[in-house]
Amino acid sequence: MPGLGTWLAAFFTLCMLSFLYKDNPFFRVAESFFAGLSLGYYIGIVANQTLKPNLVLPLIQDFSANWNLVFAGGLGLMLYFRYIKKVAWVSRWALAVYVGYYVGVNMMQKLHGEVIPQVGDTMLSLSYSGIDTLWNVVMVAGVLSVLVYFYFSAEHKGAVGGISRLGIWFLMVSFGAAFGYTVMGRISLLIGRMVFLVNEWARPLIEAVI
Amino acid sequence: MNLDRLMQIDRRIIYLFVAAGTILPIIFLLGLPVSTTPPVRMAFERIENQLEKGDVVLVSFDYGPSSAPENDPMADAILRHCFAKGIKVVVIALYPLGGLSEAIEELNKVAAEFPELEYGVDYVNLGYKDGAQAAMRKMNESFKEVFPLDVNGTPFDEIPMMRDIENYGDVKLVATLATGIIGEWWANLVNAQFGLPVIVGPTAVSAPKYYAYLEARQMVGLLGGLKGASEYERLVMDKYPRLAELYATPGLYTATKGMDVQSIVHLIMIAFILFGNLVYFTQKRKPRAAK
Amino acid sequence: MRKQIPLLLTFLAGTIPIFAFFVPERHVGLVSTGLDSWLIIVYGFALLLGVVNVVQMNTNKIKRRASGWPYSIVLLAGLVIMGSFGLLGSFDVFGGIATRPDGSSTPFNWLYTNAFLPLQGTMFALLAFFMASASYRAFRARNVEATILLIAALIVMFGRIPFGEMVSKWFPIVTEWIMGKPNMAAQRGIMIGAALGAASMALRVILGIERSYLGIGKGE
Repeated sequence: MPGLGTWLAAFFTLCMLSFLYKDNPFFRVAESFFAGLSLGYYIGIVANQTLKPNLVLPLIQDFSANWNLVFAGGLGLMLYFRYIKKVAWVSRWALAVYVGYYVGVNMMQKLHGEVIPQVGDTMLSLSYSGIDTLWNVVMVAGVLSVLVYFYFSAEHKGAVGGISRLGIWFLMVSFGAAFGYTVMGRISLLIGRMVFLVNEWARPLIEAVI
Repeated sequence: MNLDRLMQIDRRIIYLFVAAGTILPIIFLLGLPVSTTPPVRMAFERIENQLEKGDVVLVSFDYGPSSAPENDPMADAILRHCFAKGIKVVVIALYPLGGLSEAIEELNKVAAEFPELEYGVDYVNLGYKDGAQAAMRKMNESFKEVFPLDVNGTPFDEIPMMRDIENYGDVKLVATLATGIIGEWWANLVNAQFGLPVIVGPTAVSAPKYYAYLEARQMVGLLGGLKGASEYERLVMDKYPRLAELYATPGLYTATKGMDVQSIVHLIMIAFILFGNLVYFTQKRKPRAAK
Repeated sequence: MRKQIPLLLTFLAGTIPIFAFFVPERHVGLVSTGLDSWLIIVYGFALLLGVVNVVQMNTNKIKRRASGWPYSIVLLAGLVIMGSFGLLGSFDVFGGIATRPDGSSTPFNWLYTNAFLPLQGTMFALLAFFMASASYRAFRARNVEATILLIAALIVMFGRIPFGEMVSKWFPIVTEWIMGKPNMAAQRGIMIGAALGAASMALRVILGIERSYLGIGKGE
């Protein structure tokens, strides 16, 4: 016989699946409960996995070596000042540091980690050396035509229009492939839940009853 | 047959077909063969041929329940491969909504299959950390400063295997099972700036864009979706008879078994799409014929 | 001052990681990695901002007895239950938030496995049904572009399953070719374009040209 946990999991799974018939209170309750659980989960992991080991314990155990973390904690708490009207402007300081840091990191990530290696790898040899040359032509043509398609500062007419059209065709192939993969991905998620329902809930239940 | 009526069919009928296509192959397994592709073989060969017993691999659980049916089998296969080969594993999680719990569940499950291995000596779970890119950058300097405690609260210095692991320099490879953008960050931040080889196991939804990283050698392997997981399972089963026995355990959900179901539902979807287009073209011709 | 100081902070916080990337000098590196440590902590606080927002919104909904207010009670109940076990776990009550040494689940972990995981997993699993219905009704080869998309999708869908290889060994080969060549080329083009756009936006934010994230406009 399935245990309490399995029954609860099966109940929630069926509540969610009931939406396929039509919207109903069971689905709405399950959906709301899920939203609450997600936020509760955030509280648990942030408190236990970040704030406790990286902020609280270092300050308690060795304040002299970790005093600078007071500023980190202060910045974090400053974010919550936005909920107090009189001092809401203070939260902008913390937000400024947070956003500034991540855009700075992102900028280098994008330029150094994406643009340069990807452009570098597109510089392929187009001199004849067998079938690989044909594929190199396909790749270079694909990348260039897609970039021309996304260049909206020139009107897509004449030669630019023609290259842009080729870019659209490459994009269509890519989106078709992405669609195929997306179908696969979504079905995989369904398989996971159905395997649970059949193998972990329904089968033991039927075996226990019979 | 009234084709117009077929096009207006209640969507719940379609849902029934999909549900039947999913449930029946779970009950009546087909045992379809799985062939491997170069991106997955590259990942397997990297661990199999270029790592030695005692080397350290970082496995990052960057997914949650929203993609667990795809990423769990990948995680299991990679962990089993590492354990079978005697490679030490450091597990972390950077995905906030479920990464930690997936890491705990999968590592505990796979570790139980290798009772000869010891927690803290052969593998460790350092838990979850906020900050994503900040944590990734900081790990290049010091794992200890990012993860001062492991998931159970044990101080870093009290974990035997971590005494020799200071930063990325002491790790041979990172394998990230990812949903969303975190997998890309391992490639375009950690690999690009710190040179750590990266294997990514993305969900099928994200997999197409990783081919660009793979081609540019920013990754050393790619396991795309459930198919990628099933291919990796095939490769480890072929190489390690112990794992082949394990994967043959009745009742154990594997990506290979999942592919049976995937195949049937794909055929149903393809049939729906083709039928829909057949009706569309037939209806398009009708008014012309009437004229 | 209230507007200038945040802009200055954004500039400093943004340029430190960039500067450290190019200047391999010890003290610069120390400042940069120090900032990394700080932001791990600040990120945690930021993640919880949403919790405060949602609690405020739902409490107001309950007070005003707005439409759907009973569901707000359910939401807050879920939040309090999971959040309480999580917070108590930080003080090692109930054995933490992972599994106990004897392998048994803590309440936090049990709730994750038996409530959170099935709820979120099934929510995403519903998409498979919607996708099937949408494909049947809307996926049409109406023009050249749609036909290319359709053919590529069908080849990939068939090539990625074992039946594809059983029908013809060319299906998986063509599928891998599509993924590795035209798809890769298009994804690369998108990636380069998006990366350049993101980098230029980042520069605008660091230089203070873009200020909307602070809730202040350009002219202010």
